[in-house]
Amino acid sequence: MNKSSEKTKSTVTIDTSGYEVATQEIRSEAKRLLTEKIVDAVVGYQGGRRGGSAVPVVITDPDQAEKLVFSAACVNNLSIYLTKAKKEIRAKGKLAVVAKGCDLRALAGLMGESQFKREEVVIIGVTCAGVHRAGTQPGQPLTDSTIAKKCRECSVHIPEGSDLIVGKLPPLPNLSPTEKELMEKLDAMTPALRWEFWKEQFTRCIRCLACRQVCPFCYCEQCLCDRGRPQAVDTSPRPSGNMGWHIVRAMHLAGRCAGCAECERVCPMDIPLNLLNRKMAEELKELYHYEAGLKPVEKGPLTSYDEKDDQSFIK
Amino acid sequence: MALTITEENLRTLIDRLIKDGTRVIGPKRAGEMTIYEPLSRGAEFAPGPLPRRSAKEAFFPLSETILSFEKGKDGLKVDDVDTNAFPRTVLVGALPCDAAAPQVMDAVFSWDYKDEFYLERRRRTTIIGFSCTSADDSCFCTLVGLSPTATKGSDLFLTPLVGGGYSCQVVGDRGGELLAGYPELFTESATVTPVPPAEPEGTPVDLAKVKLWLEEHFEDEIWEEVADRCVGCGACAFLCPACHCFDIVDEGTEQKGSRRKNWDACAFSKFTNHASGHNPRDVQNKRYRNRFMHKFKYYDDKFGKTLCTGCGRCIRYCPVGIDIKGILEEIGSRF
Amino acid sequence: MPHDFEPKIVAFVCTWCTYAGADLAGTSRMLYPSNVRVVKFPCTGRIDPVFILKAFQKGADGILVSGCHPGDCHYMAGNFHARRRFAVFRKLLEFIGVDLNRLEFSWVSAAEGGKWVEIITQMTEKIRAMGPLTQFTDLADEEQWSGALGNPELKAVYDQV
Repeated sequence: MNKSSEKTKSTVTIDTSGYEVATQEIRSEAKRLLTEKIVDAVVGYQGGRRGGSAVPVVITDPDQAEKLVFSAACVNNLSIYLTKAKKEIRAKGKLAVVAKGCDLRALAGLMGESQFKREEVVIIGVTCAGVHRAGTQPGQPLTDSTIAKKCRECSVHIPEGSDLIVGKLPPLPNLSPTEKELMEKLDAMTPALRWEFWKEQFTRCIRCLACRQVCPFCYCEQCLCDRGRPQAVDTSPRPSGNMGWHIVRAMHLAGRCAGCAECERVCPMDIPLNLLNRKMAEELKELYHYEAGLKPVEKGPLTSYDEKDDQSFIK
Repeated sequence: MALTITEENLRTLIDRLIKDGTRVIGPKRAGEMTIYEPLSRGAEFAPGPLPRRSAKEAFFPLSETILSFEKGKDGLKVDDVDTNAFPRTVLVGALPCDAAAPQVMDAVFSWDYKDEFYLERRRRTTIIGFSCTSADDSCFCTLVGLSPTATKGSDLFLTPLVGGGYSCQVVGDRGGELLAGYPELFTESATVTPVPPAEPEGTPVDLAKVKLWLEEHFEDEIWEEVADRCVGCGACAFLCPACHCFDIVDEGTEQKGSRRKNWDACAFSKFTNHASGHNPRDVQNKRYRNRFMHKFKYYDDKFGKTLCTGCGRCIRYCPVGIDIKGILEEIGSRF
Repeated sequence: MPHDFEPKIVAFVCTWCTYAGADLAGTSRMLYPSNVRVVKFPCTGRIDPVFILKAFQKGADGILVSGCHPGDCHYMAGNFHARRRFAVFRKLLEFIGVDLNRLEFSWVSAAEGGKWVEIITQMTEKIRAMGPLTQFTDLADEEQWSGALGNPELKAVYDQV
């Protein structure tokens, strides 16, 4: 009954045997950290009711460490639980977090924004060959057709900079960069046609705000787009306000978003939101040679400047 | 003898209804997903998988204008919405979990305040329910008193037949009226073989006992356990066929604008935020507890109904895998 | 000579340089099109991209953002920050499908009344030739039900998503 992401013609299967190793290592590390009271809670993944599924979990008891898993269903970016959007988790004390390479980039960004200090968090990095795309029925093998778009172009399989790196990387197949191809198609369109494309996409938006809530960088306590006086963006889920919301969202994440693509994964209306983030990241790289999330840096590209910045567009 | 309609005639029925000025809402393909939307012709009708959003939109739209105003030379002019102008509607292809939901929501929309927008649409809508033939591990209609063949809420109920076509069961008066309007499209068949209905897995749960358990466990570790992970989006409520909370906003300028009624969700932190800044549901697990309690206790207390039809959308699309079916089963195991 | 179409142009300007420049143009009795509505800010650094979006949604046909020349900012660096912000925002609007001819940026100092007149005149003529901007205002009247995709090229991309 889910969307049919499992096309049967797929042949490329990605070896995920390393995830078994990772699971064992995460469990023993979590147990050690909790037993030795190095941390008060571990944010990780546990298996869900649906066969093969995985959901975020916060454990505080060393005996619960056995619940932790890592699999291709571990799609969530757990760094969200370390932000002030989830105060109740932070209130548990010092935290350890399980992070894939892409999640680590968000953690680096959050540290850059002084959301927490490196020494306040223990990072259990997982060597990751890829995770499922949105809508994949849990339990499916990880293949060319069930892998997430972001994983097809992943450059951070190994989360360098973690306190401990678990798992081992299998040989990885070459996968076509579908998002890049789509991006090129959009770039080649006329602006009028691109407008039609985005209009169509945003018209579907129901403003459930899953994209905002799941984003590690949308931790503002008062979102500009929730405000009524003055009202920056219409809150009604209608084409006009939706367009405003998605433009503002993309702008506010520019130079901060490290591309975990959680926004796109969680969108119940399948809006390809990461294309916007990706576009902004590409532009920032070209204009200011900046890539988000590579290391904690205090000033992002839009909170700093260079006197010699390009101003060819200014009269 | 059973009344039947062929696939082709069903599409013709849709075409003729549209031609006769009826708004027909049914499952329609949109990219990779199916959504209930107004159909422009029978060919667009795409029965099959459960549509991404529920059919409640036919009665309770995502966003609706409830009045508009404009300042002119003669002062302020306020236009109320004429509910009499709402179109006659046929909702076709609603699966049992979607077809049953409006009957549940009727209670709250016609309680102390009569919501004419909702009620008028309800009065003008005929629901053609469809028997459900495929279920996945998120489906749980059988846990909440429905089934893939439940006719509850439908006026006319179609069951897909092996070899194509549908057998047709008149459930409500409006179904009979619809049938009477287009008798030539239906035929009597001697024998029919229905496609076997879906079989959602899951242990049946005694909802009365769940309610009793909830009464005693407002404060319980389970809420932290299952909902500390909640990130506070509205995906569950917005996809739910029975969630009915809304917010009213004024939009536009001081010259011209509209008052609109938009969906709201109890998972949003703003939902219970007081003007003073105090928020009685201060953390996410309390907000999720409210959602669960509302569905299985409060609504029952007030109206004697369960506010859940087991469609499983909130499970499939929860960003963090909160599993209402799992929670029901877990509570069921604790009696 | 009357025109068929008088564009609405909104200028978001900083109070220290461009506003003073526009003031100079006025006190010097220079003529420039009355199509421009000036909105004064303390600094270009205070101009949020949301304002641009809002102005488009409320019916602006063209928008100008103007402030102090680099190095002249009353607050030292507000315009440097604005420069980056708008460089990026332009790219975003372009990607969404907004014609960037509708959005201009300039540095106009308090002494450049003539430059202000020139920019406003040129921009008004350009926007007049382009006609009204309806893409944002049309959106306000649209309903939520998604429409049918008429364009085959778009449909191909859409299907890929």
